[in-house]
Amino acid sequence: MKYVYYPGCTLYTKARSLDACARKAAERVGFELVEMPSWNCCGAIYNTASDDLAAQVGSVRNLAKASQLGDKLVTLCAACHNVLKRVDDRLNQPGNEVERNRLITFVDEKFERRVQVMHYLEVLKNDVGFDKVKEKVTRPLAGLKVASYYGCLMVRPKEVLQFDDPENPQVMDELMRALGAEPTKFDFKTECCGGYLVVNRRDVAKTASKRILDNARAWGAEAIVTTCPLCQYNLDKLRAGDSSIPVFYFTQLLGLATGLAPEELGFDCNSFDPVPFLESKGLLS
Amino acid sequence: MQTPTGRALLRQIEELSGQVVSDCYQCGCCTAGCPIGEDMDPPPSKAIRLLQLNRPEELLASEGIWMCASCLVCGTRCPRAVDYARIAEACRALILRSRVSKVDPDTVTDPELEEIPQQAFIASFRKFSV
Repeated sequence: MKYVYYPGCTLYTKARSLDACARKAAERVGFELVEMPSWNCCGAIYNTASDDLAAQVGSVRNLAKASQLGDKLVTLCAACHNVLKRVDDRLNQPGNEVERNRLITFVDEKFERRVQVMHYLEVLKNDVGFDKVKEKVTRPLAGLKVASYYGCLMVRPKEVLQFDDPENPQVMDELMRALGAEPTKFDFKTECCGGYLVVNRRDVAKTASKRILDNARAWGAEAIVTTCPLCQYNLDKLRAGDSSIPVFYFTQLLGLATGLAPEELGFDCNSFDPVPFLESKGLLS
Repeated sequence: MQTPTGRALLRQIEELSGQVVSDCYQCGCCTAGCPIGEDMDPPPSKAIRLLQLNRPEELLASEGIWMCASCLVCGTRCPRAVDYARIAEACRALILRSRVSKVDPDTVTDPELEEIPQQAFIASFRKFSV
């Protein structure tokens, strides 16, 4: 299986490990990500003002371009996924034809079809199947208690994202179980980490992130797993000293469990070095 | 651009946000669930109350509208389907469209540029800068 893939800006730089592990792990579990050529910024955040069409154009172009290449567009970054999904929804809302026609005149690329914007986790769950993923596990993450943190962008708005339960999503928990880990419950699976407030209100993002980490630890989690570069940064970097547990991208754990070599897992992107922890759990031998 | 006041301003906020402020019955669920609620002044339910009382200028002058990270938990849990994140965004849009920024990209330091994921900068400048 081949999928048209949209990495987005952050996966080329600060979240390289999210991208690199995803591409390699995909091959292990039986599909291939083919990066779409000449993609552009998705916009990073969805602007909601009813007359703000200009902010949507970047994603309109990506969707049009992708539609010429396939019928599914796979994302990894939670922000890209959220924006592309919402722009696609806006273009295809019944009764929104006038706005759609205005939006598509901004881009040269023609729509061949409506593409289905899918997150990598949805590919694993719906197209590959977690049973199949489990068969490909060569290094089970036995004994690893991990809290799946989804944040806001994967689950809200729920009518548009249609990803999972917005209060208690399970997809990443199911994946962790398939990899042999033990997903822990916790209260703040979809609580906001403070997001982009880190730019001008680092204090606020720090308070929000600390609350999430403390709660996960209180439920017994030894590590957190996420799919958003900004959540990863906020939880991993803004931590207060005593709440330190590793914060992984889910693709790092998928890569680890499916037998990628430790040097392929991109741990240099993690601010809190997870190597000693993984060694202590016997997961790197 | 001259910003209107009173009812005219409220109408603009409702139009840009697609929300009807009289739909809110002040249960406070939004404020209770807001992860930034304790730092946000006014918090979502009080902000909507200001609009219901026809005091939109006070909301536009507040710090609260700049504290929303658009996580959408308030609107997702609202029993009346009022989306406060869109109301805050409409208020910010009116200010930004009068060419006044909240965040100045020039104040970002080199170490911050080096470290913070760029999606955060793009999102921040889109929401808080002209």
